[in-house]
This record gives sequence, structure tokens and C-alpha cells, in this order.
Amino acid sequence: MADYVIETNNLSKIYSKNKVVNSVNMHVERGKIYGLLGKNGAGKTTTMCMLLNLTYPSSGDIYLFGKNPKVDSGESYSKIGSIIETPGFYENLTAYENLKIIAKIRGDYDPYHINSVLKMVNLEDAKSKKYRDFSLGMKQRLGIAAAIMHSPELLILDEPINGLDPFGIKEIRALLKRLAHEFGITILISSHILSEIENIADVIGFMDNGVLIEEISKDDLYSRLNKFVEFEVANVDLAVNIFRELELKENEDFTVSGNTICLYTHLELRDKFNELFVKAGIDVRKLNLCEENLEEFFTRFVSNN
Amino acid sequence: MLTFIEIEFLKLKRSKIFLLSLMGAILPPLLMFIAVTSFDEGQTFEALFSNVNMYMSAMFAVLIFAIIISYLFGREYNEHTLKTMLTIPISRGKFLMSKYVMFLVWILMLTVVTSVSTLIFGFAAGLEGFSVNLFIDSFAQLLYANVLLFLTFSPFVFLSLFITNMVPAMVGGAALSLVNLMVYGQNWAPFVPWVCPYLIASGEIAQYATSISVSYGVILATFVIGLAVSYIYFTKKDVAL
Repeated sequence: MADYVIETNNLSKIYSKNKVVNSVNMHVERGKIYGLLGKNGAGKTTTMCMLLNLTYPSSGDIYLFGKNPKVDSGESYSKIGSIIETPGFYENLTAYENLKIIAKIRGDYDPYHINSVLKMVNLEDAKSKKYRDFSLGMKQRLGIAAAIMHSPELLILDEPINGLDPFGIKEIRALLKRLAHEFGITILISSHILSEIENIADVIGFMDNGVLIEEISKDDLYSRLNKFVEFEVANVDLAVNIFRELELKENEDFTVSGNTICLYTHLELRDKFNELFVKAGIDVRKLNLCEENLEEFFTRFVSNN
Repeated sequence: MLTFIEIEFLKLKRSKIFLLSLMGAILPPLLMFIAVTSFDEGQTFEALFSNVNMYMSAMFAVLIFAIIISYLFGREYNEHTLKTMLTIPISRGKFLMSKYVMFLVWILMLTVVTSVSTLIFGFAAGLEGFSVNLFIDSFAQLLYANVLLFLTFSPFVFLSLFITNMVPAMVGGAALSLVNLMVYGQNWAPFVPWVCPYLIASGEIAQYATSISVSYGVILATFVIGLAVSYIYFTKKDVAL
């Protein structure tokens, strides 16, 4: 039986008749990086807020570490580190002082540990700088420092790479992978940047209009990416007529865009189709066997659902 | 709770509002010092202490307390720190209570600042009639008035949770100060929660036909209603990001 760190059962949130999260059944396995992927307004942040008890669910249940957090007096929450949207810190205080406040409340204040966490997120030189003078990327990194400072078992990160430059993204990505794979920390990370989720996640949850459409492991996802053959021809109309004569349907078996025809079925017959085009006097300029990328898959997946 | 107070103090580091509140606490003694030196008003320490206590607890404190409340609670929303604090985690009830306690501690500090600065300005103006007992009595009167006033500010806690911007608190505080001035001396002054504290602490309540217990009741009712409403609102409402 799978060991789920997060499990939700028909979790829903309604804001004035608008169901922003609709019967979400999420399963985040221990030690995995779970990427929650969806457009802006898909319900990712609200779902995460409900998991963190910042927003109260309208209906449904949440189980953290196998327990209902309502009945374990918040014990589960102490094992979680989180960032929701832009991190919030006291602007008049320095990075160090902000972390000190959090550590004091947790009862585990240790100056050496705060310094080592700041070093881990490359903020050791900015530890005495006031938060109001931080760049967005530095704020995100301080948010990550605060989230991992108490060595949590679960990290809930809502768009944590927002505002980071490419080097920062690379660093944080490496850090999160290390936390998950070396330290066994389970990570739930949301993003609307598909490539980022593809890069980091072991399991991807597709969310749209408040609905968690499906949870797919990355291996499973790759096996489900559509393959297609791309023909670039000189005479598209003639080539399309040939496909029609072979009872292939437009927008089902193939699509047309400019001088390019994308064939999604009967891929194994691509050389025969090429022969037919050549025999009909059609100049075939390009013939590629392609694979759908995550962006195309997501677009197709969401529109199909 | 001590940790929470320590943390609240840390949050005030480099805070301009904290310094402004201290300046606000010094303002009534300063104004009275100017009045004494320029217009020969109140040539004794007794008159100075009495005037400062009246202006402070019936007028300036109302405005200053409204700003403090708004800052203490509103900044957690405006600086988006509430989500950080609550996910540490801290129970919402405990968080709210720590803010109330910090508000009380802040008031105690302002009371000390007002009393000590009055003393300093009194000596600077060369007033006569100082005694340690007079100072202690005056300090106790101001402290009592401010603590009672603290109780009447729980509805402001709700307002600052509901409207997190500081501007309404400043306008509201200023308006309430003016209302206090208008109400002071009226027959129904003992029924107004923000006037009662000064009337009770100064003993002026005896000049009114209304029983002192009615004023205590008004203060207590205001406190309980404000506390209940702010607690329910804060614990039941989703955290704004």
C-alpha cells in the first residue's frame, strides 16, 4: 500500500457560488516530488492553502501523514515547510532576523543553523540586508530558507521559482532535487511553467478549472505523449485529397497547418504515404517523425477533459 | 507568551511607528510645557500632571492606540507575513492573544514615557510642588486610565482585521478623539466607552449622576464584544494572501 504524505478526498472550495476547487482527490507519495501543473486560476494556490489550513475547505477531507490534521492538534503542520505565492517577511528586518523570528516561535533557534541555511540558498552575504531591499529572487530564496530551516518532512511550494533568474532557477531546482532524493523530503510544487515541472517532478497532477484532471507519473506521461509524422509538401491540397481518398479524417487522423500536414494515425505507413505523394508528383520537402512535447500534451489533455 | 512578546519587540526593530508612538506619548507633556512657559498656565506639578493625564487619556491616547492597533494587526496582512506566521504553525487564537498582550505592553511603555517626560518638562519649567507621592499617584491614574482604555479598543482590533489599511484607523482615531472632546462634560459621558476610562481614573465620574458600575459595565461589554467578534472573525476567516 502506498505511503501518502498528502491525501485529499473530494476536497472543494466555493467562493460565492464559484467552485474554485472541485472535488480534488490528490495523492502525494512519500519521498516524491509532485508537480501540480495548471494555468493561472486553475485552483493550485487555493488547494495548497487548504492543505496548509490557511483556507478552510467548503467540503472534503485532508489527510497529512496519514492523519486528519483537524484531530492531531496541528502536529502535522509542524512537519511542513511552505511558500505560498510571494514569501511574506517583515520588511524592516534583515534576512537573519526574519529567520530568527520563525525559529524562536518554533523553539529551535540556533544562530549557526540559520547561517548554514542562508548559505544553502546563497544568501549568506545578504543576511544583514533588510528584506525591503531584497530583489524578488532573493525574497524567493529567503522563503525557501524559511521553509527548509526546520528540516521538514514535506515541502509545499507554490510557484517557488517566480522571479528567479536562470541561474537561480537552476540552483533551486538542484536544491529541491537534493532535498527530495538525498533527504527524503516529499515536495509538492506548483507551477504554470510546464518545462519546470517536467524537469523536477516525479509525478504530475494536471489541474484545470478547479479540477484535478489526472495524476500521472513522469514515465507514464512520456509513454502517453503522442507521436506524429510531419509532412512538409509543395501541394497541400493534393496531399490532403490523397489522405481523404484513403479515408483518413482531417482533425482526427491528421491536421493541416500551412504547407505542413501532421499525421497522428497509421504512422507505420509513413513511407507508403511518401511514395503515394511522390507518385502523384507532390514534392515532399520534409518528413519527420515527431513526439508531442509536454506543452502540446497539456493543451490537448486539458481541452479533451 | 514571553517568547511571543520578545518576537513582537523584534518585529518593532527599526520601526518608525514605534518611535512615532513614543513621540506621541511625549506630545501632551510637551504641549503643556509650552503652555506653562508661554501662557503661565498651571504653575504647579499637580496641575501639570492633571492636565497631561486628561489630554493624554481622553484625547491623544485614543488616536495613538488606534494607530498602534492598526499597525500591530494590519502589518501582518500588508507585509503578507500572516501566512508565514500561521504556517509555522501558530494557533490563530494564540496569535491574536499575543497581539493583545503586546498592545497592552506597548501601552504600559507609553504610560511610563508620558509620566517620566511630564516630570522632566515640569522640572525644566521650574514648577513647584513636586513630591514622589504626587508622581506615583499621577502615574497610577494615567496607568489605570490607559489600561481601561486598552479594554475599550477590542472593537478596533476587529476593524483592523477587517480593514487592514492604516488610514481608516488614523481617521477613526482622530474622529473618536474629537467625539471624546464633545462628549466630555455631557450627562451621558459615562456611557461612552472611550471617555469612561479618564472619568473613572481621575475620579470625575463622581460628578455625574450615573453610577460608576455602569461605566465599568460599558467598558467590560465593549471589551467582551470586541474580543469575541475579533476572535470569531480571525479564526473563521480564510487568510488573505
